[in-house]
Amino acid sequence: MDEVNTAANTNHVPSSNFAKEVEAMPGGADIAKCIQCGMCTASCMVASTTDKYRPRKLIQMILLGLREEVLSSDLPWLCMTCRMCEERCQENVNLAEIFHAVREIAAREGYIPPAFKNAIDVVLKDGWMLEDAYSDFIEDDRDDLGLDTDLSWNKKFVAKLKKKYFKGVFIK
Amino acid sequence: MVTTKQEAKPEAASGEGPKSTSALVVGGGVAGMQAALDIANQGFKVHLLEKSSSIGGRMAMIDKTFPTLDCSACILTPRLSEVSRNSDIKTHTYAEVKSIARDGTNFKVKIHKRARYVDEDKCSGCADCVPVCPVEVPNEFDQNMGFRKAIYIPFPQATPNVYTVDKRGEPACRATCPAEVNAQGFIAMMRHGRFDEALEIVRRTIPFAGVLGRVCISFCEAECERGMLDHSLSIRNLHRFLADYEIAHGTAKPVTPNITKEERVAVVGGGPAGISCAYQLAMMGYPVTIFESKPKLGGLLRYSIPEYRLPRNILDGEIKRVIDMGVKVRANTHVKSVKGLLEKGFKAVFVGTGASQSNKIGVPHEDAEGVFYAIDFLERASTGQEIALGARVAVIGGGDAAVDSARVAKRLGAKDVTLIYRRSHVEIPAIPGEVEDAKEEGIKFMLLTNPIEILTATNKVAGVRCVKMRLGEPDYSGRRRPVPIPNSEFTMAIDSMIIAIGQSADPNGVQNECDCTEWATVNADQITLVTNIPGVFAGGDVVTGPLTVVKAVGHGRQAAESIDLYIRGVDMAEGRHKHLHRVQSYEVDKSHKESEDRAAMPKQSVDSRTHNFSEVELGFSEATATAEAERCLECAVCCECKQCVAACTRDAIDHSMRDEVLELEVGAIILATGYKLFDVSVYPQFGYGKYENVIHAMEYERLINAAGPTGGHLIRLGDGKIPKSIGFIQCVGARDVQKGVPYCSRVCCMYGVKNAVMAKEHHPESSVSVYYADIRAFGKGFEEFYEMAKTRFGVKFMRGRVAEVMENRETGNLTVRVEDTETGELHDIEHDLIVISPGIQPPEGLEDLAVELNMGLSDEGYVDIANKVITPVDTFIPGVFVCGCADGPKDIPDSVSAGSAAAMRATIILARNQKEAQEDG
Repeated sequence: MDEVNTAANTNHVPSSNFAKEVEAMPGGADIAKCIQCGMCTASCMVASTTDKYRPRKLIQMILLGLREEVLSSDLPWLCMTCRMCEERCQENVNLAEIFHAVREIAAREGYIPPAFKNAIDVVLKDGWMLEDAYSDFIEDDRDDLGLDTDLSWNKKFVAKLKKKYFKGVFIK
Repeated sequence: MVTTKQEAKPEAASGEGPKSTSALVVGGGVAGMQAALDIANQGFKVHLLEKSSSIGGRMAMIDKTFPTLDCSACILTPRLSEVSRNSDIKTHTYAEVKSIARDGTNFKVKIHKRARYVDEDKCSGCADCVPVCPVEVPNEFDQNMGFRKAIYIPFPQATPNVYTVDKRGEPACRATCPAEVNAQGFIAMMRHGRFDEALEIVRRTIPFAGVLGRVCISFCEAECERGMLDHSLSIRNLHRFLADYEIAHGTAKPVTPNITKEERVAVVGGGPAGISCAYQLAMMGYPVTIFESKPKLGGLLRYSIPEYRLPRNILDGEIKRVIDMGVKVRANTHVKSVKGLLEKGFKAVFVGTGASQSNKIGVPHEDAEGVFYAIDFLERASTGQEIALGARVAVIGGGDAAVDSARVAKRLGAKDVTLIYRRSHVEIPAIPGEVEDAKEEGIKFMLLTNPIEILTATNKVAGVRCVKMRLGEPDYSGRRRPVPIPNSEFTMAIDSMIIAIGQSADPNGVQNECDCTEWATVNADQITLVTNIPGVFAGGDVVTGPLTVVKAVGHGRQAAESIDLYIRGVDMAEGRHKHLHRVQSYEVDKSHKESEDRAAMPKQSVDSRTHNFSEVELGFSEATATAEAERCLECAVCCECKQCVAACTRDAIDHSMRDEVLELEVGAIILATGYKLFDVSVYPQFGYGKYENVIHAMEYERLINAAGPTGGHLIRLGDGKIPKSIGFIQCVGARDVQKGVPYCSRVCCMYGVKNAVMAKEHHPESSVSVYYADIRAFGKGFEEFYEMAKTRFGVKFMRGRVAEVMENRETGNLTVRVEDTETGELHDIEHDLIVISPGIQPPEGLEDLAVELNMGLSDEGYVDIANKVITPVDTFIPGVFVCGCADGPKDIPDSVSAGSAAAMRATIILARNQKEAQEDG
């Protein structure tokens, strides 16, 4: 009780304007409506399998302005966009959209969890995810089915994509 | 409708009459009562309008009030009696606003007062009527958890303490029956095993429980509401069971004549119409004589319907009952003149000579040997006369007479019986069950075929030439017209032919004295059945043309009623049309009924029945009949069995009461229409309505209330167990933007805390948890109450909205999934009982009232306040005030203070009006 009355704790100013930044992003507009009731966490599929991820706490961190902490963590990337929280949220907060906006900010600033980054690197390099798994057997199967066995067009497509959109901004 | 109403109330029009000094309070809850009392105690007249059968509103349902834990009824009941004792308050219960029109500063209000079928001045509330009532329906006062009878008071302290008959109208079965047999009524008695009373209800309208129980076409079953759910009730077979039961158990009471009147009535024709008419007249006490040309009474029932459908002992028994009532019979008597009967001293004559002339088919060689007409054929078969029938028989026609003839021919030994009908099996007019039975017995149905010529050899039938038909456009009767297919003629060898293509009235019959149509049927009024000759009435087939037995029986009853009125010199037409609303499909709650099969009628096997005339349908057993009666949905709630009328010692119950419209002129209106609870079943994740042990707060109030369905025992309704652990889920249907209720309902936090405390009071050892988003303990003593719940009562509070409730199917226990937002931990917590605390919403019907008043509502649907700060009870309409929850959620003290405030605002107007009147006067 004593702690609550100290000046430091009654000064409820976010440590940064991160919430405002998210709010300005497409899909992030409703973040300020959150009343921290916990409906989202209790509804969350991911939260039910891991203690690490708590959507309410993540929203709280954003509202408190913990910009670096949020952007550098894996948490915004763990939402699997099932939108059960949005279905039940009584304040109509669009959590999946907010986390999408946060991921966009994080990616822009180079905070991408290795697992996601590796996946993208593989796609950009090979043109698709599963080149390692592509074997003679699959080639034969494709041949039998009358499908094109040459998948190098994937690479051409990705090269075009890279040239048009990526411009080497954050891919090393 | 809305637009015409609005035209009728121009704001600027100035009233002609004096300004009214009385007020109307709409809604008899605690706020409305307070407003009414405060106005009345200042000496003005008040009309207090209440939709339900008692004032008291929601507060009467609630167990305890917060934060003081006072007994709600103990506070409310003195107020109820204060209202009822105040001579300046006129309470209109069971009434609603029908229309409101502005007249200067006055309001002209029409009130629709529903009939409660109990005289408010006579009823003493003794409850003698309750045990005899056979109808039980869910008790809405107990939130549909317990049951009440069709005659009820909502709660013991109901004000006025007058019983109400819940009669929604006329059930489809009774409304459809041409004889108006009270099917719902006798079925209600049957489900309680009271077969004698059930039969008595059938016999109020028809003398033929057993006969019509066998031969009726049962229009009622086609309209039976149960048919919308699974299959219609077997209504016909149920009243047949009643008659059979009486014979089997010898429970019939001896019939004694009770002829009290002088005026003799003659009935011409002893068929179903005539017997029915005589029966009704004899019940009224008239001496009746039936004139019948045949040796015995019964008409087509005796001489046409085969014995395997209607055993003659049943018919004889029921006719004997009528004769035993003091009806005289003159058999073998041809009446030569109806007027002659009047001259002989009969005060009235009923003509029911029927339509028993077989129609001709109009094809060549119809007079050949071996051609029979159905009526004649069936009569000869019924009376045991010799019939020279060949081996191959063709029956022409598709009505009941045709099917009967075919089945009789089979029983008389014909090897090959073919029924030729010109339309398809859809249009065939015979009773479907009879058609099925005939098919089972090996009758061939040659549909879409028409005979065009009878082929003869030495003037004896040798064959029939037919043409195939197809169905064309519908004709005037709505059935598709059969059209011959060119070049489809074919010939069929037969030995006999029975023509059953309809009957008509005897063109030379005695009815021709009256004004008749070209088909020799009498032109009689459809309702009163009067003919052009005063004192002569006609009914049955002689009026309608060949139709059904039940219609004829109905006509007999209608005519008897007219004859009674005629003899007494009363207007016959007045008040005869049906005034009861026919209960519509959507008004019958079928949501909790499971689909069940209709009881099957046991039948004699085909082998044993096709060679003799023993009865085919064997009748229901007692168990089958009772089970079938249980399927009745009791559409109209009150079944008019009138057991209550007999039980009431003060003659207070009157089933002929009608709704009334009252007109009031008032100077001010106070809206105290209350609220409705949010329907929590729209949250599928909480399982309300799906899981037995998830209930809402008002249901909980009734459970813990000593006058509730469990007598105040807090148990699970599913299995009767005492819940060891109870969870309360707050903020459901309130502060939910997605569900259209963004506002806080103000009362849920505190009633939730109160309910949690009451759970501890009932079962101190149980564990009680409240799941909340915020606790808004904003009023006087509320925070202390909340604190007391935590510390003194040990109620656990967890901050976190519940995401979902899961049921354990074996134990019925419920697991809530919630995040404790104070620790960030996710919990799955098991409870025995879950109580959802729903938010509150504007009441149903407030929108209609707003349209009447030409008043806008807020976005949420509450009454809009002109100025929330200075005039918190004034609406935008001058002279209209609001209190209670009509303008937004309020707790009881706030509702009551708003009631007083609204009363004060209203009396300012009334006092000004009074002063003006005194100055003028």
